[in-house]
Amino acid sequence: MTVADDRLDATFTALADPTRRAIVARLARGDATVNELAAPFDMTLPGISKHLKVLERCGLISRTRRAQFRPCHLEGDVLDTALSWIEENRRVWKERFDKLDEHLRDLRRAPSPRRKGSNQAGRFTRKGGADG
Amino acid sequence: MADRTPDTGELTYTRVFDAPRALVFRCMLEPEHLTHFWGPAGVSTPLETIKVDARPGGVFETVMVNDSDGSRYPTRAVYVEIVAPERIVWTEPDSGVTTTSTFRDLGGERTELQIRQANAPAGYRSPEARAGFATSLDRFAAYLEKLGGSR
Repeated sequence: MTVADDRLDATFTALADPTRRAIVARLARGDATVNELAAPFDMTLPGISKHLKVLERCGLISRTRRAQFRPCHLEGDVLDTALSWIEENRRVWKERFDKLDEHLRDLRRAPSPRRKGSNQAGRFTRKGGADG
Repeated sequence: MADRTPDTGELTYTRVFDAPRALVFRCMLEPEHLTHFWGPAGVSTPLETIKVDARPGGVFETVMVNDSDGSRYPTRAVYVEIVAPERIVWTEPDSGVTTTSTFRDLGGERTELQIRQANAPAGYRSPEARAGFATSLDRFAAYLEKLGGSR
């Protein structure tokens, strides 16, 4: 497993928690302090801090050193790596499904004496070449 | 039946096809069918590159070829379970991703095909990950997509 894979694993593990996803979603709209992040949740500050540490460890968020507020910042690149993995998979399966749908249409249009009324796919005549 | 596969369906993709279940099942298992749709848009999967040894432990290999520049993307998986015409499970040893295809007969020659991807990546394996991801990871992704340029 490569370093990049490890990173991705850590990112996904961090994102596995609904509270952490909510935190990330909030930070996607802009930096926020721990207090601001804690507000929508019924959670203690230490509870939120624990989640922030997980997010920080995998590089999803960073915290500036300045001031005691230390606003949290979402590291978009790290998040994008995880999201693009999801998006890529979604795209591949959507396009496969589209093509499969077309292929099934072709099969069922193709002249085959056993096609009608047979509920088990049975044999079929393959249509020449043309699929999108 | 669900108890025979690990309950880690974090990412799911579902589509209903106007075709009998047995036929949709065969499409996902037979090279003569797979070659028609395995590559996403702009990508072909030549018949001669598809290896299917349809039994637990048997290989499922393909080479997807980019239509525009000829780049080749080999994929390599091993079947874990094949239950005709209900379910096909394979796992990709390189990534640990396990893909479960479930075929549901909706009657009237309509079939629902659900693809579930689990253990992808390995971090998914923790119980915490399973709970959190169960249904909402792709919605989460879609949500952030919508936020778009704001980050």
